[in-house]
Amino acid sequence: MEPSTSPASDPNWIEGYHTDGFFDEVFEPDGTPRPHYRGLVERVGTFTTESLNQRERLRDQLFRTRGITFTVYKEDEGVERTFPMDLVPRIIPADEWALVEAGLHQRVTALNRFLDDLYDGDQTIIKDGVIPRWLVVSSEGFCREAHGIKALHGARCVIAGIDLVRDGEGTYRVLEDNLRSPSGISYVLENRDAMTRVLPGAFAAHHVRPVDHYGQLLLAALKAVAPQAAGESPRVVVLTPGIYNSAYFEHAFLARQMGVDLVEGRDLVVDEHVLYMRTTKGLKRVDVVYRRIDDDFLDPVVFRPDSMLGVPGIVGAARAGNVTISNALGNGVADDKAVYAYVPDMIRHYLNEEPILPNVETYLLWDEEQRAMVLDRLHELVVKPVAESGGYGMLIGPAADEDELERFRELITADPRNYIAQEVIQLSRHPTLVGDSIEGRHVDLRPFIITGDTTTVFPGGLTRVALRKGSLVVNSSQGGGSKDTWVLHGNDNEDLPGVDDARARMRRRSEDVAQQAPEAGPGQDGATSTSVSVDGARLDDGGR
Amino acid sequence: MLARHAENLFWAGRYLERAEQTARIVDVSYHSLLETPPAEAEDAWRQLLDVLHLAAEFGDSAVPTGQDPFATTVTRFMVSDRGNPGSVVSSIRQARENLRSVREMISTECWEATNSLYLQMQGRDLSADLAQRPYEPLGDVRRGAALAIGLANDTMRHDDGWRFMTLGRMLERVAMISRLLLVRVADGDVHSDIGFHDGVAILKSVSASEVYRRTHRRMDPAGVVSFLLLERDFPRSVLYCLDSAEVQLVALGSGTSQAGRAHRTLGRLRAAIEYRNADELLDEGLQGFLTWVDESVREISDMVIDEFFSHNPPGDLQSLGVS
Repeated sequence: MEPSTSPASDPNWIEGYHTDGFFDEVFEPDGTPRPHYRGLVERVGTFTTESLNQRERLRDQLFRTRGITFTVYKEDEGVERTFPMDLVPRIIPADEWALVEAGLHQRVTALNRFLDDLYDGDQTIIKDGVIPRWLVVSSEGFCREAHGIKALHGARCVIAGIDLVRDGEGTYRVLEDNLRSPSGISYVLENRDAMTRVLPGAFAAHHVRPVDHYGQLLLAALKAVAPQAAGESPRVVVLTPGIYNSAYFEHAFLARQMGVDLVEGRDLVVDEHVLYMRTTKGLKRVDVVYRRIDDDFLDPVVFRPDSMLGVPGIVGAARAGNVTISNALGNGVADDKAVYAYVPDMIRHYLNEEPILPNVETYLLWDEEQRAMVLDRLHELVVKPVAESGGYGMLIGPAADEDELERFRELITADPRNYIAQEVIQLSRHPTLVGDSIEGRHVDLRPFIITGDTTTVFPGGLTRVALRKGSLVVNSSQGGGSKDTWVLHGNDNEDLPGVDDARARMRRRSEDVAQQAPEAGPGQDGATSTSVSVDGARLDDGGR
Repeated sequence: MLARHAENLFWAGRYLERAEQTARIVDVSYHSLLETPPAEAEDAWRQLLDVLHLAAEFGDSAVPTGQDPFATTVTRFMVSDRGNPGSVVSSIRQARENLRSVREMISTECWEATNSLYLQMQGRDLSADLAQRPYEPLGDVRRGAALAIGLANDTMRHDDGWRFMTLGRMLERVAMISRLLLVRVADGDVHSDIGFHDGVAILKSVSASEVYRRTHRRMDPAGVVSFLLLERDFPRSVLYCLDSAEVQLVALGSGTSQAGRAHRTLGRLRAAIEYRNADELLDEGLQGFLTWVDESVREISDMVIDEFFSHNPPGDLQSLGVS
């Protein structure tokens, strides 16, 4: 189905590609493709410009018609955008993934232990002097009201999203932990779905681990943390702030994937410390709430009394053990960026293991020595507010002008606890389609880790790509895009096309069938270019 | 299903129906009053506003420009005035908002039809169109709403959600028909005074004039009243709509016991109409009867809301410290 010959006039995508001294996901420093990318590089090399453009149009059409959008807030005005998926997938070979998987499993296990120790344990980590008490209680995410609320299996963070980057040597490092309401999993599934339609042929040459079981996995974990009284079939709901929330698409997506109700605060009511939802046939008891509402807005009785999004009494119901709120209250303390610096110590403390995935070198600014050094080297460092996410409010020293540096000097001096500084990581780059050529762009990776009665690292995750040239900021709200992320099966060899693997053959065969099936959409080779009004400007814009 | 979703669908049905019906009424009133002397026409318009419960809002909100004929001022108020909650554009906006909240539960076709009707109304200069050729935008509304409703019927599973939507539509339609009759029928003159033109206008408002002519020879009050109230096989008669609403209520599990107040009230209303004939209705005083129908529909709607959408635990929320 793919074009097998390319006319001489077509560009050779690979020639003229430069790694510019960065760690490149695809190419070795000498320009040869890494073994696990050879098949893909070969295939992309044969594409004509026209064929690529057609695939891009098909992709845009898929995303638009499905309404896969997020909302960007600028000056009070919400604008709906699609999160652009780059056509060149990211591939992670099995051995590399095995290390990442082990590291994430270890880290999330330790973080859950920390949270449970803090809110429902003896606070051994404080008593043993590993983390100072003042640091914990001064964290914005620390939640006194969470104290004493039990979490079955100690699963306070059922869904974690850990942001990884690769540095100049290609070492995976943890950049941030997201333990409250990490979003992005819907893009992982939608990207995969779109890729199988847009570049079906590319899958045949690889043995890619599937991602479509996420809903099942999440539902099983949420059921595993249901109060024991709920019995065999606990009722799970997804709680959303509503259609105006920027991640509403994902909330609806997850409810659909799990086959559960998507509810808003006003659909729920607490009576006698039991949570119910209002149906047309009366009140039905709810056992587990996967909430996508921040702590502050969850319960006006306990937190902000002016919140209309939450459910009065829901925290009391959780405390009474009648309902499980996932992720648990107060997880924000563990993704505080200053507490982040202590996660390697947590791993040592709780698991008696050495961390598998290193942190990024982080400086704590209440320490006078470190602060002085940071203020001195501010133009070389990255500074982040400890409680923000989404890339808001940060300083990238090398890119900042003197005014901005001065502003941050003042901010840090005024409230050192509120900021951390980190060395600039030269994020790895990945070839990315920019206009009509392929250029290197910085990427990160957000894998998702699900914890119920056990902890499971979901294969791959969301690869985010900074579409602006040279930019290190990959957040969707800051002009980032994404890539489908392929984790390869363990039995894959370096050159699959040459490997005589029965499973791979079967897979190829079944994909041939899939390609012919009508649901594969307009012709893979863009034979049908009708009715697609091109909105290719999106990629172009990102490239400038 | 979630009570909130059911309520959204119920109101989406009501608003879509209201948009279509209001467009019809304005269309027919505008064109039939063109041949009426201005003073009389203004009276007729004001009577219409009164019956549609919009007189107060009209006084507050509508701004006559002096140059425009009264008909244009009223037409703008009823069609394009965003400040009038009962206007066509407001109804379309409300229908869309309600459907948007249950986007996952309705068919894409139905959503797109509603959304494009909304966008179409947003994107044009309604005010100018209404002054120059109201027939056009009003026709677009009628067709757009009919398309959305038709697609809901034809592309959605006829499950509880669809039933709530249909229930809302049917109740709204009953209210609109009874109000329409009220405009044209004043007490005391009911036996003689539905003139030919009035009769045609009423029937046209519910797109019934052609059907009527095929089944009735004469344009007389008894004929028109019996057709619009009692013609069981015509989808824009009160009896047909009440039948349909009752079917939905039964399927939704509203019993006839103590709990099913909506069903019982609806059944009583249906029986009161079903077992009367037009002459009896006219003798007993049509105006009073129609007012009762209008009020009953409002009651039934409140009961539906109470029975299906407003479940609260027996406990007292105040005890949680929430006002």
